[in-house]
Amino acid sequence: MNKGNDLIGCQQNIFNTTNNKETQLEYAIEAIKLGSTAIGIQTSEGVVLAVEKRVTSSLIEPSSIEKIVEIDTHIGCAMSGLIADSRTMIDKARVEAQNHWFTYNERMTVESVTQSVSNLALAFGDDDAGPAMSRPFGVALLFAGIDDKGPQLFHMDPSGTFIQFDAKAIGSGSEGAQQALQEVYHKAMSLKEAKKNALTILKQVMEEKLNATNVEMGVCVPGTMFTMCTKEEIEDVIKDIQ
Amino acid sequence: MKTLGHMINSRFGSHLFDLLSSCRKNFHILSKQPKISVNIGQMDTVEEYQHGGPKQAYFNPYAFNGGTVLAVAGEDFSVVASDTRLSEGFSIFTRDNPKTYNLTSNTVLGCTGFHGDALTLTKVLEARLKMYEHEHHKPMSTKAIAAMLSTILYYKRFFPYYVNNILGGLDEEGKGCVYSFDPVGSYERESFRAGGTASSMLQPLLDNQIGFKNQIGVDQTPLTKEKAIFLVKDVFTSAAERDIYTGDQLIINVITKDGTRTEYFPLRRD
Amino acid sequence: MMETGFWHGGPKPGAFYSLPGNSSTYNDMPRKHTQQPITTGTSVLGVKFDGGIILAADMLGSYGSLARFRNISRLMKVNDQTVLGAGGDYADYQHIKDIIEQRMIDEECLDDGFTYTPKALHSWMTRVMYNRRSQFNPLWNVVVVGGIQDNEPFLGFVDKIGTAFKSDVICTGYGAYIAQPLLREAYEKNNAMSEQEAKALVDRCLKVLFYRDARSFNKYEIAIVTKDGARIEGPMSSDTNWDIATMVKGYE
Repeated sequence: MNKGNDLIGCQQNIFNTTNNKETQLEYAIEAIKLGSTAIGIQTSEGVVLAVEKRVTSSLIEPSSIEKIVEIDTHIGCAMSGLIADSRTMIDKARVEAQNHWFTYNERMTVESVTQSVSNLALAFGDDDAGPAMSRPFGVALLFAGIDDKGPQLFHMDPSGTFIQFDAKAIGSGSEGAQQALQEVYHKAMSLKEAKKNALTILKQVMEEKLNATNVEMGVCVPGTMFTMCTKEEIEDVIKDIQ
Repeated sequence: MKTLGHMINSRFGSHLFDLLSSCRKNFHILSKQPKISVNIGQMDTVEEYQHGGPKQAYFNPYAFNGGTVLAVAGEDFSVVASDTRLSEGFSIFTRDNPKTYNLTSNTVLGCTGFHGDALTLTKVLEARLKMYEHEHHKPMSTKAIAAMLSTILYYKRFFPYYVNNILGGLDEEGKGCVYSFDPVGSYERESFRAGGTASSMLQPLLDNQIGFKNQIGVDQTPLTKEKAIFLVKDVFTSAAERDIYTGDQLIINVITKDGTRTEYFPLRRD
Repeated sequence: MMETGFWHGGPKPGAFYSLPGNSSTYNDMPRKHTQQPITTGTSVLGVKFDGGIILAADMLGSYGSLARFRNISRLMKVNDQTVLGAGGDYADYQHIKDIIEQRMIDEECLDDGFTYTPKALHSWMTRVMYNRRSQFNPLWNVVVVGGIQDNEPFLGFVDKIGTAFKSDVICTGYGAYIAQPLLREAYEKNNAMSEQEAKALVDRCLKVLFYRDARSFNKYEIAIVTKDGARIEGPMSSDTNWDIATMVKGYE
């Protein structure tokens, strides 16, 4: 940091810092657009999350790529971007959800979980407060869960901005996928339709040919709450697509 | 300490007593006691008086301010009541200090014991309630308040809030609910519970009248709101006859889906 | 403790010889938080009247049973709407007084028209007393805060462990046993007494206390708050009559 006796230098430094922070965020948000596509659709019956897995080599064990995770029994999360970065955020979400349960003996709402994770997003930069994080997180997240308000879907970007969606696509195919979602989405959509739509749209934007091993799907419904779809379940949905 | 007997909850009683006496040992320097040693060689006893420092009147961070609270749950209502007397020893501090605290529109806490701790605890609760509402955009449910209160109490396990808490309200289905706590946070949901100085007088009476215990061939009609309020007035009137820490006035909070209604009822003032 | 003396039982170099009753060489004692009151003040009385409140406290600082200081004030004016009185350790009271006075100066400097209200000061006192007791280092006092807030008289009580309440009548120490019943009786008969009636009532109570409380003194101050402001009056004394004292068995 500047010693402070050079006023001009000091101002420049502050300016650069703020500028850097914004630029870094922009880069991070752009970086998401290189990530694998992930889609979330909320219906009145439940929420669906679907992601593509980029199996870049035949030597990769596809099941080891994990881009949809459980936060708590009632919340799942899909991600796109620098997956390694998501570990910190998923950890935070899980801890907050458990801590909430520990203190209040109730499930944390989807919005509150998202909020708690978003608080991490801007903790980067060179300010002296807290442990240093040099750059923003390079992931976008989709939180799908069920609480008192019913099935809900939240999207969060690297800046920490989080918005609730009926349907949202993130990652490299997001532009096309979002357009497609806009066209197919309607309030009365069933969960079955949502699953089918999610995979159909993924199929459209994926470079590889979609099959049961290069996509992941998770659903959150009242009763069973968050569960990952089995390979067989995914195959059943794929069967219906053409 | 005489007053401990009143405070101790049977569930954790002896624990707390040990705990508090050990606390005192740690924090207070007691005047030295005459030491007795036995001289084995000569087979006679010699009292060895050691010189001690100045006599220390130890500081007791707790007081016992008395009072009784009671909560009763019905099908679609709860009643939380307390007397309004605040005392210490044989003195009445004030005749107008309710020990019920309206936490939300459908949750009321009854809190007796050491009034300093009761004031602090309810202040902490109020702040936590507001924080929760800011963070989660909804009021806390009675169940959530109960769980939180338990953790708040347990965080002070080794220097406890010296209070008996009884929480009354409506659960998520709109049914009446009562939660009772010991001073260090152990809690359970019940349908009626008395706490504080006259709890040992109220509880058996309620067991009989609401729980229909020790009655044969009784018609077990569900408790109505009117019957509950009537019973509360009756048991407090009886308690005020025998317990010097209970009296002056009764405050009754009736919680229904429409909110909390408060009524007062006079008790003996002697 | 390790023996460092040059001879058995002797003092350490530079220390004094340890005689019985002199424990100045003790240094293996844990740090003492707890204390006992040293110079103490006795009761504080307070009662509401029509449009105000009155506090009263005598001017004796006792050192155990010794009437050590006979002209000390235990009442303070905090601002135009607030007064405070204290019993218990006088040094602790002076400490509290210093802090409050500094806070009033700081507040005055801001010049924003804000002043501490009686309720705010009472609440603050509650937190101070409770926090100190929780650190096992209490301020050994009973504090009465009085004043007018929103055109309503206010009287509040706080003790050394943070027990606090508000009431129409407040008496501390021996006053709780001797003066409280008199004040309550008078207040229940007439809860809108005039300032003059309140003064006379308080004078009578202090007189009874002087007769019965061995740590009291017939020289006292009163604090009055009305809509016109706060003031401390005194010192003053009650007219006492000891004529019948000689008739009490064992008086002599």
